[in-house]
Amino acid sequence: MITLTINGAQLSVEKGTTILEAAQFLGFPIPTLCHMEGLHPYGACRLCIVEIGEGARAKLVSSCTYPAEEGMKVRTSTARVVKARKMVIELLLASCPQSKTIQDLASKFDVRQQRFKQEWESCILCGRCVRMCAEQMTGNAIGYHGRGETRTIGTPFDMKSETCRLCGGCIYVCPACQLRCTYSDKENAICNGCVNLSLPCVEKDQFKEMMCYMDPCVACEISGTHYSNIK
Amino acid sequence: MSDISSIEELQKLNSIDDLKKLYWSLFEKIKNDDKPQLVICSGTACHASGTGDIIRGMKRYIIENNLQNKIALKITGCHGFCEMGPFILTKPDDAFYHKVTVETIGSIIDATIEGKLVEELLYTDPKTGERYYKQHEIPFFSKQQRTILKKNQNIDPIRITDYFTNFGYKSLEKVLSTLTSNQVIEQVKISGIRGRGGAGFPTGVKWEMLSKQPGDKGKYLICNADEGDPGAYMDRSVLEGNPHSIIEGMLIGGYATGATNGVVYVRNEYPLAIKHLTIALRQAKDVGLLGDNILGTGFNFDIKIVRGAGAFVCGEETALIKSIEGKMGEPRQRPPYPVEKGVYGKPTVINNVETWANIPIIIDIGGSDYAKIGTKTSTGTKIFSLVGKIKNTGLVEIPMGTTIKELVYDIGGGSPSDVKIKAIQTGGPSGGCIPVNMFDIPIDFEKLSEVGSIMGSGGMIVMDERTCMVDVARYFMNFLKGESCGKCFTCRKGTQRMYEILDDITKGKATMDQLDLLEELALVVKDTTMCGLGQTASNPVLSTLKYFKEEYVDHIKNKHCKAGVCKDIVGAPCQATCPIGTEAWRYVAHISRGEYEEAYLALREANPFPSVCARVCSHPCEKMCKAGVLMGEPVAIRALKRFITDMIEPSVYKPVRKIKEDADDYKVAVIGAGPAGLTAAHKLSLMGYKVTVFEKDSEPGGMLISGIPEYRLPRDVLKQEIAELIDENVTLHCNTALGKDITIDYLLNNGYKSIFLGMGAHKSKLLNIEGEDLEGVFPAIEFLKAFNIGGKKLAHGHVGVIGGGDSAIDAARVALRQKDVESVTIFYRRTRNEMPALQHEIDAALEEGVKLYTLVSPIKIVSDKGKLKGVEFIKNMLGDVDVSGRRNPQAIKGSEYFVPLDNLIVTIGDTPDVGYISYMGINVNKWGTLIVNEDTLETNRPGVFAGGDVVTGPNTVVEAIAAGKKAAIMIDRYLNGEELEKPLDRKMPSVYVPPREVVEEESDEEMKRIKLPTIPVERRKSTLEEVEKTLSEESAIYEASRCMRCDLDFTYPEKIRREQQELMQDITQKGEVLV
Repeated sequence: MITLTINGAQLSVEKGTTILEAAQFLGFPIPTLCHMEGLHPYGACRLCIVEIGEGARAKLVSSCTYPAEEGMKVRTSTARVVKARKMVIELLLASCPQSKTIQDLASKFDVRQQRFKQEWESCILCGRCVRMCAEQMTGNAIGYHGRGETRTIGTPFDMKSETCRLCGGCIYVCPACQLRCTYSDKENAICNGCVNLSLPCVEKDQFKEMMCYMDPCVACEISGTHYSNIK
Repeated sequence: MSDISSIEELQKLNSIDDLKKLYWSLFEKIKNDDKPQLVICSGTACHASGTGDIIRGMKRYIIENNLQNKIALKITGCHGFCEMGPFILTKPDDAFYHKVTVETIGSIIDATIEGKLVEELLYTDPKTGERYYKQHEIPFFSKQQRTILKKNQNIDPIRITDYFTNFGYKSLEKVLSTLTSNQVIEQVKISGIRGRGGAGFPTGVKWEMLSKQPGDKGKYLICNADEGDPGAYMDRSVLEGNPHSIIEGMLIGGYATGATNGVVYVRNEYPLAIKHLTIALRQAKDVGLLGDNILGTGFNFDIKIVRGAGAFVCGEETALIKSIEGKMGEPRQRPPYPVEKGVYGKPTVINNVETWANIPIIIDIGGSDYAKIGTKTSTGTKIFSLVGKIKNTGLVEIPMGTTIKELVYDIGGGSPSDVKIKAIQTGGPSGGCIPVNMFDIPIDFEKLSEVGSIMGSGGMIVMDERTCMVDVARYFMNFLKGESCGKCFTCRKGTQRMYEILDDITKGKATMDQLDLLEELALVVKDTTMCGLGQTASNPVLSTLKYFKEEYVDHIKNKHCKAGVCKDIVGAPCQATCPIGTEAWRYVAHISRGEYEEAYLALREANPFPSVCARVCSHPCEKMCKAGVLMGEPVAIRALKRFITDMIEPSVYKPVRKIKEDADDYKVAVIGAGPAGLTAAHKLSLMGYKVTVFEKDSEPGGMLISGIPEYRLPRDVLKQEIAELIDENVTLHCNTALGKDITIDYLLNNGYKSIFLGMGAHKSKLLNIEGEDLEGVFPAIEFLKAFNIGGKKLAHGHVGVIGGGDSAIDAARVALRQKDVESVTIFYRRTRNEMPALQHEIDAALEEGVKLYTLVSPIKIVSDKGKLKGVEFIKNMLGDVDVSGRRNPQAIKGSEYFVPLDNLIVTIGDTPDVGYISYMGINVNKWGTLIVNEDTLETNRPGVFAGGDVVTGPNTVVEAIAAGKKAAIMIDRYLNGEELEKPLDRKMPSVYVPPREVVEEESDEEMKRIKLPTIPVERRKSTLEEVEKTLSEESAIYEASRCMRCDLDFTYPEKIRREQQELMQDITQKGEVLV
């Protein structure tokens, strides 16, 4: 067991526990975005930063990835943490203002302005979808392209994926995405089932074992193949 | 060299004794070989300068002349002096031939065989002209401590025998035969070596941690050769030039830590390094130095190469590990550290190329001896790649703790041009800029991070006054936003947003709020990202903000880029640099088209003293001219101005006059009829004001008439120019001095609503040494004034002038033109390079016979019965570089000497002669100049403005004109009750002057700057005739056509631009030129 203090409160956790888990156990609120229970921690959004270390060696780390260490002293809301967190939210707001999740975060942490040039992006590259696809749906259909400013998420070479089962898990976990179901948009739609009234997913082999997040799916309901009907 | 030239003849070494025997046999062979040797650097930089041709040429020459038995040729890796490549080093003479060409190869080979030197091809210092006969005497080499780089010049990297003959693998032998693994780690720990990749973690500690890890599943050693900083190439050079030293270092590391697998992670952009390393690995394997049971000791170690695709972030250790594993190069959270969980989850140690190269040296000389090199906390030597605005570009190896000053000035040779060095950027994109006034700091890990930079892998980019720090930060941020892996949101978006703001600043679109936001963001990015890339990504911004904030503010508030780099706010550099915003490009363009009247108008609109400036302007525009900055020599803008003012009648210019109905209610007084005062009066007159100018002397002109001699500025030209300015709105009262005949209160009480003070600086500074009041000693102004206005010839016999500015040259040349003068000598305390006077003026003075003694200071004026007898001087030497970037003179004790002189003129600067002004309620600072608001020129008394030399101290004519123009605008605003401070307009080219039609085919030959015609030297002494003559029409057009027309970027009509772009597209698409 490892003993650490968070905001002065001491607790013991098992080896391998992250700071975030320990803090949540004690009930300290730490905002997260890329973190999701059931997925491996990734540390992309930097919202969950906390301060560790003493004096000149004090530093900010992402609590979702940093393992608890013996004798560690964690502060979850010092001035330094709050300032950085607000800037992160401001940056998020500047890139992806239409996301309800981000709007809520801004309102919760009292971020009232964003001073950058407004962008309207639909992805903040938190990587939840990539991990969802790989870890929970065992699909491995999507991943990252490029690096730095040209980094995007998509299928290899942006071609129609052979391994994607159109389960919609990626969309389900997305904190920024507005397109839960694109319905009949022919160009961009994920499945277009409602247009054809037949399910593209049915063609996949193991339909019965397939988990699906496309809910509600018009095509599925009309055609009677909705998982709730299949017993 | 040796007969064992190929690997096939080497037997596999099965024991340590085999290795020892091999050394003996190789040394035997060298002993019997006394052929002279030519060493040619074949590093990447020298390849770029044409070493390939040289090598081919040499081989052909040797074979054709059958010289194989008389001379040997060795092709090696980088020696470091890349600026001088391609070069040849001879052995045993140690002669250094630089910038060798194919034509000179033969003479070098022949001379070397005969044991002679080709003197004219030896390295000579470009500044001092001193010739060096030995390589190690050249300052660039002599001041380094080249423990690693020196090996490069003895080793042909593709011959393992060369490495053996240079005691290669001797350290491995020592380790295997005498030391335990713990003892090796102990030695490395004692040596105190810290990782050369940048972070500076103690290597020995890292190794110890690895050795304690359970080793049953295998451990890894990695050599990090993912060198990605712009401008850094030391790892590359070590890998290319001496790959076996890396192998040996890793073998020792493997022995010490129990690791059995080695990986060299090298970027694919280094083909030569990969090639040499591949060969070296094969050779080492063949002789049994890699693989299983090395030298029969039971020690196993193997190395493989992994080529990186060239991502900057893969230099970060966790990203590098992922890349080796074949995954996306993306850092992960540490802990766990690689030493616990590295490549494929195995314990791993990652060290930089240079660290590995240091290991054999540590073992060889012993840890405690190694620790004696460098400083206490940073031991050993470090290689830096010294690039940028520096004379000796190249790789430099120095002990830690060497100051930046020594590195830049002693080894690097300082600035390659006459532009001063401003800062140095260390550590690549993650590092920071250190300003020149901090060059005293020693280079070690702690000091560099203390001042906001990092050691990094050792890139050093020198920047001069022509480098814009905002642009530098923007450049690095552009690099980083593309090279950030993109995982951390704050690093990815933060670098993008920082770039966005920096880009806005360089385009003049940013606000001060954005500057604050930039700093705030930079701090957050530094704080919140996961890996080293993000944590240091803000350094370029933060360090430039720390030391060069005024440049940021200048860009934002004044839309001004001092360095002339940021194109969008600079426009045409000549125009942007001109204090009065003259559209130099415009009149130059008109001249090239033969449109002289238009040229005159463009000139005259900005400048009320065109003919004066055509002769005496300090022409800052030429310093910034792109033709000079980019490739050699600037356009002779001043000479072209002279051409146009000599050709066109001033009456061509018809100024636009405003008519002010109530002008009599708003009288303005101008004190001083110098360039500042007259410009202000003229501009106010054009606005419709009634102006009265009060002048202390008997004639208007100020310094133009009293300070500048007639041979530079003929009096008729000056008088005509002044007469043009005194129109019906301007009244001139000469012989009326402020403080004697009038006061400020008197003027304000007598109907003057505003006053402009432009009295100039007419009092010479004193040396403050004994005897300055003697007969025969003159302050410069007094001497010049007496001659220029009164025609009095004060000097006789042997005249000495002390100083190095323009008035020193003026005084000397005036003295030379006086009848009783026998000789004139200028004494200056630094060297000619540091003299502030205009270069062509110094040249002219020397031509006329003025003598120049530099590096001397006066210490005592010797008198004889109250009369000057001579001056005692002391010799100086140049010491440290001061804040101004010049080397400070330091007196050499005991070098005093006496110079008999009949006259001494002291020209060490002037101050305003305004002792009375503070009684009139105007504030004066400690240097004796008036205090004004820099933006509005207003003094502490409302309505009283001041400008020119009386505010700035002695300054150029064009600055005085600028002050006059600005004062006129401010007085107008004041009298109209407007706000004085208003945002400035950007001075951008706005008028389209079509480019000159190209008549005939232009040759590729470089167009040289025109030489100014002058009257013969013999005639100058006897007359006051103007020395410089005007250009002929033909040469004026030639010179004007050298202009690169920076303005066209902004004025080129959209339609033509589009057509051209389409044409270019056609060309690129079809691959042919459409006519």
